[in-house]
Amino acid sequence: MSILPHSIRLVLLILVRTTLRHWKQKLGSYLLLLAIVAVGVGAFNGIRQASRSASANFGLFNQAVSGQSDFLIESPTQRLSTDVLPRLSNLAGDPDWHMVPVIEGSVTALDSENQPAQQLRLVGLDLMSLANLPDLVENKIDFGEDESSWYDWLGSENQVWIGQDTADKLGVEEGGEITILASGRRQQMGIRKILKQDGSPLPDDLVIADIPTVQSLLSRPREINRVEVILNRPDLRQDSGYLKEVEKRLIRELPENISLSPTENRAVDRAAMTAAFRLNLTILSLIAILVGAYLILQALDAAVVRKRTEFATLISLGVSRQVLFITSLLESIIIGLIGSVAGIGVGWFFAYFSAQMLADTVNALYFATSLDAISLTWMDCVFGVGLGLFFTLVAGWLPARDAMQTPPAQVLSKGDWSPGFTWLQKPKVGLGLLLFGGVCLLFPPLPLEGGGKMPVGGFFSAGVWILGSALLAGHVLVMLARWFRPVCTQPVSRLACSRLQDGSSRHRLAVAGLVVAVGMVTGMFQMVDSFRYTIEEWFDIRFQAELYISERGVTGAGTINGIDPTIMNELVRDETIAYADVVYISYAKPKEGITLLSGVDMKAWTTSIKQLWYKPPGSFIAEEGAEPALISETFARRFDLINGGSTELDTPSGRKKISPIGIFSDYGNEFGTAAVDIKTWKAWTQSERPINVSLYLKEGTDVNQIRDRLRLSFPGLDVRNGKELRDVALGIFEQTFKATSALNIIGLVVAFAGLLLGLFSIFDESSRTWLTLRHLGFSNRQFLISAGIEGAGIGLTAWFSGSIIGLVLGWLLVKVINVQSFGWTLLWHVPYIDFFIFGILLVLTGFLSGCLASTYWNFKRT
Amino acid sequence: MKLLLFLVVLTSNIVWGKWIEPPARSAKGYLIPTPDYQPVFPMDHGSHPEHGIEWWYWVGHLNAVDSEEIFGFQSTIFRLAGDPEKSGVTQSEPFGNQNLFLVHTALSDLEEGKYIHHERVMREGWQARSSEKTLSLKVGGVKVNLLEEEDGHKVVTRYPDGEKLELTFKPAKPLVSFGDRGLSRKGGDPASVSWYWSYTRLQAKGTLFRNGEETAVEGIAWMDHEISSSQLGEDLEGWDWTCMQLDDGSELKAYRLRKKDGGSDPWSAVYWIDQEGNTERVYADSFTWKTLDTWTSPKTELQYPNSLEVSVKHPTNGQQVYRLRPLLDAQEFTGNRSDNAYWEGACEVLDSKDKRIGSAYLELAGYGGGLNARLN
Repeated sequence: MSILPHSIRLVLLILVRTTLRHWKQKLGSYLLLLAIVAVGVGAFNGIRQASRSASANFGLFNQAVSGQSDFLIESPTQRLSTDVLPRLSNLAGDPDWHMVPVIEGSVTALDSENQPAQQLRLVGLDLMSLANLPDLVENKIDFGEDESSWYDWLGSENQVWIGQDTADKLGVEEGGEITILASGRRQQMGIRKILKQDGSPLPDDLVIADIPTVQSLLSRPREINRVEVILNRPDLRQDSGYLKEVEKRLIRELPENISLSPTENRAVDRAAMTAAFRLNLTILSLIAILVGAYLILQALDAAVVRKRTEFATLISLGVSRQVLFITSLLESIIIGLIGSVAGIGVGWFFAYFSAQMLADTVNALYFATSLDAISLTWMDCVFGVGLGLFFTLVAGWLPARDAMQTPPAQVLSKGDWSPGFTWLQKPKVGLGLLLFGGVCLLFPPLPLEGGGKMPVGGFFSAGVWILGSALLAGHVLVMLARWFRPVCTQPVSRLACSRLQDGSSRHRLAVAGLVVAVGMVTGMFQMVDSFRYTIEEWFDIRFQAELYISERGVTGAGTINGIDPTIMNELVRDETIAYADVVYISYAKPKEGITLLSGVDMKAWTTSIKQLWYKPPGSFIAEEGAEPALISETFARRFDLINGGSTELDTPSGRKKISPIGIFSDYGNEFGTAAVDIKTWKAWTQSERPINVSLYLKEGTDVNQIRDRLRLSFPGLDVRNGKELRDVALGIFEQTFKATSALNIIGLVVAFAGLLLGLFSIFDESSRTWLTLRHLGFSNRQFLISAGIEGAGIGLTAWFSGSIIGLVLGWLLVKVINVQSFGWTLLWHVPYIDFFIFGILLVLTGFLSGCLASTYWNFKRT
Repeated sequence: MKLLLFLVVLTSNIVWGKWIEPPARSAKGYLIPTPDYQPVFPMDHGSHPEHGIEWWYWVGHLNAVDSEEIFGFQSTIFRLAGDPEKSGVTQSEPFGNQNLFLVHTALSDLEEGKYIHHERVMREGWQARSSEKTLSLKVGGVKVNLLEEEDGHKVVTRYPDGEKLELTFKPAKPLVSFGDRGLSRKGGDPASVSWYWSYTRLQAKGTLFRNGEETAVEGIAWMDHEISSSQLGEDLEGWDWTCMQLDDGSELKAYRLRKKDGGSDPWSAVYWIDQEGNTERVYADSFTWKTLDTWTSPKTELQYPNSLEVSVKHPTNGQQVYRLRPLLDAQEFTGNRSDNAYWEGACEVLDSKDKRIGSAYLELAGYGGGLNARLN
């Protein structure tokens, strides 16, 4: 024990006298190292925060006004007729809770030129009853008291309440008007009041109005979405016994075909929709940090290389290896700590710039959402610092161990002797990992709450294969160098080739880092390209009508208002129309999560309307007593109907059984669609509202002329021809992969930063070799070209190995992960030209990095 | 709380007690109760939507049939009419804009010394409705229906934690109509009149569901139904109101409208209802209202003079003294927002020698301010 303080003193002394001196001397390298840690941690943390900000708001839109609800009363379609309310009135009279009916929908605000300016969430609440709510009583929102009569407070029939931010954004004041598109109609919305709220502001797309006003604006009379139940005593919200008792009392008097669930279940259902999306982002950001870890390893190793002589001297002077080991680890911890803390800041910036991008994706794919303020929680900090420290410690441990194994006499005599990482030179581990990755594929997908599936095996295989290929990349480097050696006739190229053929652990490490990045990027290339290719194929086959019409301005499956049936009837009466394929869509409730129930013209869908069939109609015979349905592949995989069978869905008319007669490909959503005949759909859902219509025009009709005429006659509808629809769909598609592209770029930037660091390290380690060569007459130019060739060789190897693992990853993403996560079979498409261009870029960048590193090294030396 | 809606505008030059002809409509356009109106029951037990303000009010004292437990209760439903001129927002059956209802309920468990209460505000629609044809009300947790049997009615009141009071009421006396020519006047403004009908002695019987137990209860209760269209006078600060049910079979109603300057409004009054249902009345100059003791609420820190003495000169029986003493101090109704708290609770009535002569309910409103803001 008495040695311990002495050891600590010694560690600190070495840290100050050697390590910090090195930091000072190589400030640039260390700053780069810190930047790598910061970018790695930042990418992970930023995505976490941005994703949270973009999807936090998907919950219940009125929460900002009425406070957190505790239970939800809703129908399987998430639409309720107001006729159900009197049946709930007895329950509503209980003083222990408040019942808050809610109607919500999306509307599009138009600017002065009648162009869509902003998508708004219109939420209808009983404004009078709000006064009873405990949170509101706490003056959460100041509704003001300037009116003398209660009825003035409700506003007139088109008046709404908005937050100050929304008012500023739209440039309106109290008493002003906003032109909106809702349910296919253009209307005016008057501003009754601009809500002032201290503290947390209202979401900037939230518009509140009295329920009848919203019903009128959305042309959804006698309809609400749900009834939220809010406990009268917020202090009992966490009391599970009390909640159970309340649930029991509520269920006792609940009308049939209406369900009650704790609010958190709804959040889970909705979260399940974006779970796969967020999971993908998390995995991608983890891969980014994995690349970062390689680079940290590389950079710390470089630091050890620089200090090797000093270590050897110290060991010769009697300093224990243990003390030096601890000193090295301590250095890693300091770097990890500073880098991670900086990474938290970097993450905040990433989140700030990428949150809107993610929100747009959620908007396009799932449901209307808006951004919450980017928030940095303690958990983010703990996660960020923890992750950064973990990776720097793991990365620092290997070089520290390496330094300890350095025989001092040999280092002092040879100068650049290093045993290197022997594990990098043994192919067994790499091959073993590749094999293990194959075994991981046998793992079945993990069921998620809400009915989704997580392809655990696929993700494991991806991780393990990336790691394995990175380990094996060094061998590929040696192999390639051996192949190229006979063609290298000049001294410069021979030198570079021979150095690469030696395959030092530094070279191998540099290649490994790049392989991870290249593999990740090329894998993603394929997935994105396969997706685009499949969707284009799908479009060519599925969308053959002349015109496509939907509600204008509204995107996202979860924010469907539908088109006012009277407008649709008026529209389809147009004499130029040969056939109108009207589609109805609503939610339906399977045992877990939610799915979509569609109403279509079954006769036309099974005969004349073309589909991309996974299994054509007639592949199965509908079970007796079940409604025949055409189901999407996603639906089939989710409910195990890929070989026929039947499943049950809860609808407002009770539990209904459907049985597939065919399976179609549908890349529009990941929670599956079952299509039944329109008549059945209307009876089951008790709704009449269509979602969209495809128009087949009579022969000889000028499509664009009809389109323009319909646009003028129905300003609230989105009328597009086939090409325009394709553009919109691809626009949404591009939106979806924006985040992926951003992460790819981060991965590549980090990888190249690492390559630079790696090359610095390699040249540092070869100091004596270079000096000897210089004495023998090697010019600066020759040195530079040789270094460039060395860098290019590393780039080429990374491209070669990375592309192979990238191809495997692409296959894994398309054939395993996508099928298991989303139930989509994509057509695997490899963008060979992109691959080739990427390879050239990589070799060129490698060459330039080599030149740059050598120039810098040379500059420092002289 | 019903005096909350004694909405008065006073002018100093009007001689109280004299007949003032009310106008046909209020400033806002609601109908004003007309004189000499002969109510038709059960229809007039129902709501009068063309009049601006209306309330139904029940208070009483209950004893457990099989134990010594005693309780006080209050169940009140207010109706405030919508805009008489225009429809306002889009018409909707479940979310109406023609009537707003408030419900106040309270239960005083005098054995346990506990007071539970709650308030709800609801628009006419799926959570609140009143019939225009008969006594049929459903507002939040209070449900009222006329019984098939003669004159009886049933009131079900729900309290927090799943507790409930189910009572049937049978009038022990005929309905009383207060005021001159069927109009009860509350101020000098010609429009400050109401139809004010009361059952001053109801036999109450029913069941209390409390603490997981069903308790059979019985006792006596008081019911008011008042209809008007007036607004609150700006110089009023609040009011003290009481209904006493004396052991000799008579009742007494007394109220003092408190002015901001500390004085009593001249239209403050005391009514006696004798054993046969005949009424006598005096105004402010014939009685004094003296505070004997006060109670300070730990929650709102408001001070309520809940022990008091009313000394009044009966037109025929001479000077009378009635002392009110609360059966529980903590009977403060704070509602959803404690900025409009009032005290309303069960009391006992004592004579000048402090001998118990009956039971009462006492209301003390406007001790925290803010009534004008709330009601106007």
